Amino acid sequence: MIGLISYLIFFLILALSFGIAVLGLNLQWGYTGLFNAGVAGFIAIGGYTMAILTGPSRDAVLGGFEMPFVVGLIGAMIASGIGAYIVGLATLRLKGEYLAVATFGIAVSIQLVCLNWEYLTGGTLGLIGIPNPSKDLATGPLAQNAVYLGIVIVIGGIAFWALERIVKSPWGRMLKAIREDEGAAASLGKSPVRVRLESFILGCMLMGLAGALLTAFIGYISPSDFLPIVTFQIWTMLIVGGSANNRGALLGAVLVWGVWTSSGFVISKFIPAEIQAQGGALQAILIGLILVVTLLMRPRGLIGEEKHVSRHASL
Amino acid sequence: MFRKSMISALSVAAITLGGVGSASASDCTVKLGAILPVSGPMGQVGERISATGQFAVDQFNEAGGVKGCDVKYVLRDTQGQSTIGVDAAKSLVDIEGVQALIGAVSSGVSLPVLTSVSVPSKITQVSCCSSSESFTALAKEGKTDGYWFRTYSTNRSQAAMGALLTANSGFKKTAVIYVNTDFGVGLAKRYAADIVKLGGSISSMVAYNESQQSYRAEVTTALQGDPDSLFLVAFPVDGSTLTREWLALGGTGNLIVNNSLRSSDYFEAVGSKHLQKLQGYDSAQPRIPSVANFNEMFEERFDGPPNGPGLHSVYDAVTVVLLAMEASDEITGENIRDNIRIVTAADGEEVYPGPEGIKRAKELLAAGKSIRYVGATGGLQFDQNGDVQAPKMTWKLVGDENVETGYFTTEEIADLIKKLDD
Repeated sequence: MIGLISYLIFFLILALSFGIAVLGLNLQWGYTGLFNAGVAGFIAIGGYTMAILTGPSRDAVLGGFEMPFVVGLIGAMIASGIGAYIVGLATLRLKGEYLAVATFGIAVSIQLVCLNWEYLTGGTLGLIGIPNPSKDLATGPLAQNAVYLGIVIVIGGIAFWALERIVKSPWGRMLKAIREDEGAAASLGKSPVRVRLESFILGCMLMGLAGALLTAFIGYISPSDFLPIVTFQIWTMLIVGGSANNRGALLGAVLVWGVWTSSGFVISKFIPAEIQAQGGALQAILIGLILVVTLLMRPRGLIGEEKHVSRHASL
Repeated sequence: MFRKSMISALSVAAITLGGVGSASASDCTVKLGAILPVSGPMGQVGERISATGQFAVDQFNEAGGVKGCDVKYVLRDTQGQSTIGVDAAKSLVDIEGVQALIGAVSSGVSLPVLTSVSVPSKITQVSCCSSSESFTALAKEGKTDGYWFRTYSTNRSQAAMGALLTANSGFKKTAVIYVNTDFGVGLAKRYAADIVKLGGSISSMVAYNESQQSYRAEVTTALQGDPDSLFLVAFPVDGSTLTREWLALGGTGNLIVNNSLRSSDYFEAVGSKHLQKLQGYDSAQPRIPSVANFNEMFEERFDGPPNGPGLHSVYDAVTVVLLAMEASDEITGENIRDNIRIVTAADGEEVYPGPEGIKRAKELLAAGKSIRYVGATGGLQFDQNGDVQAPKMTWKLVGDENVETGYFTTEEIADLIKKLDD
């Protein structure tokens, strides 16, 4: 039983860390209608910032600041926010598929920068020895992971609470207004470009935060962690859970990550050993099938959008 | 739908867990975890490696298993992604209760598994294929607690071999095209430093990113400066694209390639007749009867020779771990870690792969003697960082035949590296 609990804690750390990135994407896509196909890039910025700020000194690579975990988290959000500001200025006049292509290209570029800028990122060798704060707070892997899960839940909880407040605020309703009809929103004196930029930056900061949490937990970061498949995974989580709903975003993160990982477990359990090596293809088919079925049965995701009106309005 | 599949997955997990408890009493099995990329970009390579791992387990079972128990090989796919690999490893350790992990293939997956699963949970991890120097660095900092081993020689000796081969062929100006991964970058940089010491020179160093449709731009850059040879560090699929374009654009046929390209996939994709001036190096299968024996056993099982990256080394990784389990009073990650030293002791009695060799090894261990497993990659000698030094061979193609042209013992390689590092 201990083993199962220990695994579930580990599972939830990864799933909820991804969940924070899904919350960020939900703000962008669910509430504002921004098609950000560059999620992996912003997770990478957050992860590398954490690794550089808190990591030990390294030969020929920037580092040695050994700052506390919290500084790493804040730094990761600031860095990804700055990255998003620059990207946003350049791309947010684009819409829909054009924005998707532009952000996708940026994520690939960020990954290539990580791969090649050795002084900053260690290049393909990655950065080792990133401290995990739970190692100082508890002894034994189970207790340490439990502490780390606590950290992730607290941070994820704050992010969730803040987003719930935000989307119910006038600013949140403005996001939806812009998503639904930009012209109408502009005619009421709102500035769609500015609001979209704000939403984009805030969402990317959450992705950076997720990257920082994952990096400190794993203790290692390398460019191969930020291939476009990560963006696809985060998107799947949002679509399955239900966009424009923060609960849906978190639920989607846990369920999709669960399917993704448990399908491997099921295959290693039920496929005969001789054809196990072909199990990988089966796993991909299984995941694809579940996605398609969800989209057919629940096109708006498991939990759809909630209606938000001002609490001052009388219905 | 999702809830259901989650619940069924969890109940499967619960049943398994119950199964472990009761299994140890009646019919006993010992589990060995494997985390390998059987799908994704490394899928082709990973599938063969995994099948060879299973083969090693089967042979051990033929010899009576570990302490009379059947060994079960539990494979999980990493899809070549670090988060998936880490999760798979954690689930193998926590839910399946494995005490040793084989894998992964790419260093970018093996390293996070090591730091976030194996070391904290005290699980021995033996990789067949990860070559990054980051592991050595981590071990030197004392952050692996000795739980890390690899049966694949590091970039250091591979670079030395490539350089030696280039210099011995009399090439003076070499272009280098390498895959932009930790493996490729580490190897290419070392090679560039080594070749200069052996009297050669580098005309250009060009990195390429994996899985592109065409490498015309990279090849064109590499052709500048009129090189008389090309050192190519690649994997079969991209490697054949690169080689075809290199030859088509007028590049020299004087190719030196890394061990991953010693693969029939590569020869067939490019066409052997275009590769008659190609030379390569690989971990050698030492000239001892037992190794020929391994190759024969392999051919019998798979209807083909064990050509391809990681096959010999995964066989040894699995066998060494199982022998270490056999030598342990209680099968725990910690005991496996310590006993790997006992079953590869320099002064131990030599034992060889295959059911007969394993039976012999088990008898010696039962008698309390230390043994020296001399496996499919030769005599395994792990240093304090878990790195292995293996003998090397050089090869070329004659017609369609892959022919060995030279053999270098572990000592010769060590001397060569010492000379190059001075």
